[in-house]
Amino acid sequence: MSPTSGSLVRLGFLDGEAARAGIAELGEAGPALTSKLAASADPDAALAGLLRLAEAVDDRSAMLAVLADDEGTAMRLCSVLGASEALSTHLAKHPAQWRELTDPTLGTTRPAAFAVRAALLECVGADPLADQPVATVPDVEAVDALRVNYRRLLLRLAARDLAHHLALDDAAAEIADLAAGTLEAALAVARARVGETASTTRLAVVAMGKCGGHELNYVSDVDVIYVFEPADDADEGVALRAATQLAAQLMQVCSDHTAEGTIWPVDANLRPEGASGPLVRTLASHQGYYEKWAKTWEFQALLKARPVAGDLELGQRYVEMIAPMVWSAADREGFVHDVQAMRRRVLDHIPAHEAERQLKLGSGGLRDVEFAVQLLQLVHGRADESIRSTATLSALAELIQGGYVGRDDGEALHEAYAFLRTLEHRIQLHRLRRTHVLPEDDASLRRLGRSLGFFSEPVAQLDKQWRYHRREVRRLHEKIFYRPLLAAVAKLAGGDARLSLDSAEARLRALGYDDPKGALRHLEALTSGVSRTTDIQRTLLPAMLSWFADSPDPDAGLFGFRRLSESLGSTPWYLKTLRDEGEVAQRLAFLLGTSRYATDLLEREPQGVRMLGEDLQPLSAEALTAEMRAVASRQVDPEDAVRAIRAVRRRELLRIACGELVGETDVALVGHALSRLTDATLEATLAVAMESMRTGRGLAAQPARMAVVAMGRYGGFELSYGSDADVMFVYEPVDGVEAQVAGGYAQAVVGELRRLLSLPATDPPLVVDADLRPEGKQGPVVRTLASYEAYYAKWSHVWEFQALLRADAVVGDEGLRERFMALVDPLRFPAAGISESDIVEVRRIKARVDDERLPRGADPHTHLKLGRGGLADVEWTVQLLQMRHAGAVPALRTTQTLAALEAAVDAELIPRPDADVLAAAWRLVSRTRNAVTLVRGKPSDQVPRDAAERAAVARVLGYAAGDSDRMVNDYLRTTRRAHGVVEKVFWG
Amino acid sequence: MGKQEDFVLRALEERDVRFVRLWFTDVLGFLKSVSVAPAELEGAFEEGIGFDGSAIEGFARVYESDMLAKPDPTTFQILPWRSGEGPSTARMFCDITMPDGSPSYADPRHVLKRTLSEAADKGFTFYTHPEIEFYLFKDSPSAGNDPVPVDRSGYFDHTAQSRGSDFRREAISMLEAMGISVEFSHHEGGPGQQEIDLRYADALSTADNIMTFRTVVREVALGQGIWASFMPKPFTTHPGSGMHTHVSLFEGDRNAFYEAGSEYQLSKTGRQFIAGILHHASEISCVTNQWVNSYKRLIGGGEAPSYICWGHNNRSAMIRVPMYKPNKGQSTRIELRTIDAACNPYLAFAVILAAGMKGIEQGLELPREAEDDVWSLTERERKALGIQPLPKSLYDAIGIAEDSELLAETLGEHVYDYFLRNKRAEWEEYRGQVSAFERDRMLPVI
Repeated sequence: MSPTSGSLVRLGFLDGEAARAGIAELGEAGPALTSKLAASADPDAALAGLLRLAEAVDDRSAMLAVLADDEGTAMRLCSVLGASEALSTHLAKHPAQWRELTDPTLGTTRPAAFAVRAALLECVGADPLADQPVATVPDVEAVDALRVNYRRLLLRLAARDLAHHLALDDAAAEIADLAAGTLEAALAVARARVGETASTTRLAVVAMGKCGGHELNYVSDVDVIYVFEPADDADEGVALRAATQLAAQLMQVCSDHTAEGTIWPVDANLRPEGASGPLVRTLASHQGYYEKWAKTWEFQALLKARPVAGDLELGQRYVEMIAPMVWSAADREGFVHDVQAMRRRVLDHIPAHEAERQLKLGSGGLRDVEFAVQLLQLVHGRADESIRSTATLSALAELIQGGYVGRDDGEALHEAYAFLRTLEHRIQLHRLRRTHVLPEDDASLRRLGRSLGFFSEPVAQLDKQWRYHRREVRRLHEKIFYRPLLAAVAKLAGGDARLSLDSAEARLRALGYDDPKGALRHLEALTSGVSRTTDIQRTLLPAMLSWFADSPDPDAGLFGFRRLSESLGSTPWYLKTLRDEGEVAQRLAFLLGTSRYATDLLEREPQGVRMLGEDLQPLSAEALTAEMRAVASRQVDPEDAVRAIRAVRRRELLRIACGELVGETDVALVGHALSRLTDATLEATLAVAMESMRTGRGLAAQPARMAVVAMGRYGGFELSYGSDADVMFVYEPVDGVEAQVAGGYAQAVVGELRRLLSLPATDPPLVVDADLRPEGKQGPVVRTLASYEAYYAKWSHVWEFQALLRADAVVGDEGLRERFMALVDPLRFPAAGISESDIVEVRRIKARVDDERLPRGADPHTHLKLGRGGLADVEWTVQLLQMRHAGAVPALRTTQTLAALEAAVDAELIPRPDADVLAAAWRLVSRTRNAVTLVRGKPSDQVPRDAAERAAVARVLGYAAGDSDRMVNDYLRTTRRAHGVVEKVFWG
Repeated sequence: MGKQEDFVLRALEERDVRFVRLWFTDVLGFLKSVSVAPAELEGAFEEGIGFDGSAIEGFARVYESDMLAKPDPTTFQILPWRSGEGPSTARMFCDITMPDGSPSYADPRHVLKRTLSEAADKGFTFYTHPEIEFYLFKDSPSAGNDPVPVDRSGYFDHTAQSRGSDFRREAISMLEAMGISVEFSHHEGGPGQQEIDLRYADALSTADNIMTFRTVVREVALGQGIWASFMPKPFTTHPGSGMHTHVSLFEGDRNAFYEAGSEYQLSKTGRQFIAGILHHASEISCVTNQWVNSYKRLIGGGEAPSYICWGHNNRSAMIRVPMYKPNKGQSTRIELRTIDAACNPYLAFAVILAAGMKGIEQGLELPREAEDDVWSLTERERKALGIQPLPKSLYDAIGIAEDSELLAETLGEHVYDYFLRNKRAEWEEYRGQVSAFERDRMLPVI
């Protein structure tokens, strides 16, 4: 009975009517074949392919009879026709090859590699037993015969894979064997082309990459390296030419397009010096190169080297020659750095539009697994020969066996890798195209899903499985480095092999920890015990360890984390926040491994960890002042009030420091934020001090109005973390109050303010420095407005006016502030500019400062403040421009260096390129200065001399690890150029 | 530890090496050497040998003086003059690193390596081939006495039993024993003046070889009771000693200077490279000719150029494009004739390469060829032809170098700064010297 179209649709055909007609066309064989067709990946395509094949064969009825009769053959043929359009077309062109699939051993027996090689050699008329087989079939025919027979064997292989469910690693290994045989036959053809001289050379083809790893894809470039030696007594020059020709011809034989298509490109670019190096080299030449020049990634590639064709004995010698180098690669200088750089490069190179559907590259891709496995092999393979398999899955199994990878993690990774690779195979099999991108159309997804056995809802199932496995890879590929470290220190008895302490140390060292013993101790402390806390730590630590490893000082990071965890361990939100909010944990790891300043703040204020999940933008001055006032007002005692104010300040310092460290807050903004934070702190503290002095004196009202004038870098909104706040204090008696009373009061307020801010506490002190006031240290610390006026009218020197350029009355009574600014503006911005003699005086002072102020032993080139092209150079240059021209150019009337510089460009006082050079130096030096404080925990005016600190500063400034001398070089260049501009503009 | 290191350690045993000299070069090009016992070498390969960098010219500021010398095992050689019958001495060149393992920017070898790797990023390798000239004197120098050359012969003279040819034979066999191939050697133009040409090699090997060469030549001379000097211009009246250097770029196996059918078979890359060197000639002068004395060689006539120009087989030009030999595309090259043998070869090769690469990057046009003998032209003719003079003194050269971004970039800020400061000091010291010339001229008449 013939099926209805409805029943066919239920079976999986999409076009029921066409299927019914097609099956009818198959005649008696139709019913028997229906279920086989329906079980294929794409029943409609399978049926169409079968009909096309039946048209083409000579003995249609015989074929249909065999198919109807032999379930195995029918199943193999239908599954190939349903999954691979390319093989279906191949069969239509070479219909007789359907008989290949009648071989009953296909379901049970893996073809031997030597048999594959022999079959392919014979098809080009070469003797498989010869020492150097040479093709005897005429060239054009041989090239075609090789293609046809390659596909014939591929057809058998695909049938085994699809119909008999080969395990992924078996399929991949068989594909690699087929490739090896093909290379051998291609070499035989090449020998025929080269002729006589071919025998002067012994050429070995060593496969690299997936072919070398015995885990090839259906369609892939085949990576090879050629090694040659002169045969017997042949001249090396002759042998070199012959070998080069052979190698080049071999590649052409494989990659040329003929009427029978192409096989695959052979890629020899992994050879020494890549595409620009010679195609073939002798063993000694290879050795010379690898010993001298090779980079870490080359050794990683060499992990997979395997002789596959040509002179196998020579190939074997090559592999033996490189093995010791490969297995000691992990001891090489900069190994860790190289490996991390390689990984970043891979991630950077994926085109964005493909990243989401890439199977190979990208986060959670096949490359992640391969990379992780190879890295572990390189790290542990030197000491342990049992983990040197070239194939990814075998190596993974060995790593699990040896305890280098946790069993559960390893198995999950195995499953995910096998799934993703199988999916990749099925995608490639369809058109025999090299692609690693999951298609997007439903028809393709349906075919792929069904080929993987998802018969109900194939598209949704496939999507779900794919996402799941990709997520697994993403989750596991980093963790497998770190989890076994925890097992190594765990006291728990377990059945699985455990990483030995020695291996754990080796791994920690390879990952960048300088003190692996100490690190293991911290790990033990963090994970010992059976409480809930340690459970969470165990899940958290693998990721934390990897983030520490990326930071400049992994050891400090881990130690800091231990201390933080010990002080916060039982706090309910702490570990939960870290576990649930990945970004917080990652930022924390970076801060702890980079910045002593931030670590110190965090240890005093562990609550700050929470902030890492928040917006790190600095708060506005208004919000800060309001909050500080509010917390102060809740305290009765002034000391308690200021302690509360300072706690807010400490929290905000952490916010600003974190913002700069994670790169969210620009250096100019950091200066603003720190200055505003100081404004708020002084404002709130001044209020507390005034109130306290008023009540202490039993006064009903404030006897004077007071204000604080920001000076120096504080006035310029350019504070750094460690800077003192330069200020001047001014007051004004309230009408009717005696001058003496008001003066005594103001004096007392200032004393109290400074005392309160310098009380010992757990936050970085805020040093209020009033030395820039008139008469310096000899002068009274606070003056009336009238006294300032009288002083400046009578005594003042040009350097005092220069200091006033940065004056900004920011805190205290608003009216008084305005009156103070009105007083100083005409002094600092003289309408006609400063006189020639004053210009000379400024230059003379600068010359003396350059000479005298630099501390003994300081290096003038790397001194941030007073060095060549440093902050003072740039700022004095800008200030001189201001003093000369601000009277005429109102835009120059600003306390801020960069703003003044911009205004000077607009007013054409300095050419744009010169100003850019100055601004670049100013920004770089300021950033460096901040970075130095953040790294060291305390300020310094010198680019660090200590190598570790210098490296960390380089990292904060965005340099890669190992680039610290480059950072210094850039610093020197930038400041040298700035100095050149200063020479021109300042010194005139 | 790699195979090469193992090889060295084995050789120490087999050859009965008692001392290993670790060689490196200071910023001015003087060879520095520290001896270690073989037992310490394994540690030296792994961690380097610590030394006080501040004691070496131009290496370090006092506070960061800890530096490490890491021997490069591929440069291992037995020193033939230290090895008679008994135990022998070997040497290796070192790379200088900071305590954290990052390469030191003060190490001239690193300056060259960095420049080479920048060129390699663009696909080029740099080959050089120096012709080194030097004088042989009868006695070691002593202040106040005029040096006496070992003979009175001239260019290519063949002299029976001459000390010069004995000397060359021994020096060459010693160089060959150290794996340095010699291409050519002959008597040069001045009395006692010799020339030995080294075989083509990549620039780093050549620079190492030049350092070795200078040592070997001086050792051999001492062994024969005579004195060898690479001073650029020891005599007022006789020719100076230069180091004409042939250079070429390769892209993989292919000579990038060669292009069949173009003028002189010189490719566009080659022309731009020359243009780059000419464009920056004045800036790099203080590195290729780094001594006060160097500029006395560059005064008109003979083999030494004084003007920035190029020519085909024009021996008065700063850069000469040698005659092309048919079917020798791979040997297309250009000859730079300013450089002298008293330079620091690492720095000199680095700045030449960098200048040439600038020409390629910026696609500079090659100025017209100088066809005449440049010295025979009048000042006005040269002006009309746009031919600029090279700096006339170290002072001029420093002044130009101080404005050179190319030099700063290539040498690195540290070396650049140190080098110029040192040269400035040399000039200041020289400026204050009262010379025999002045006395001879003035005492008798005024």
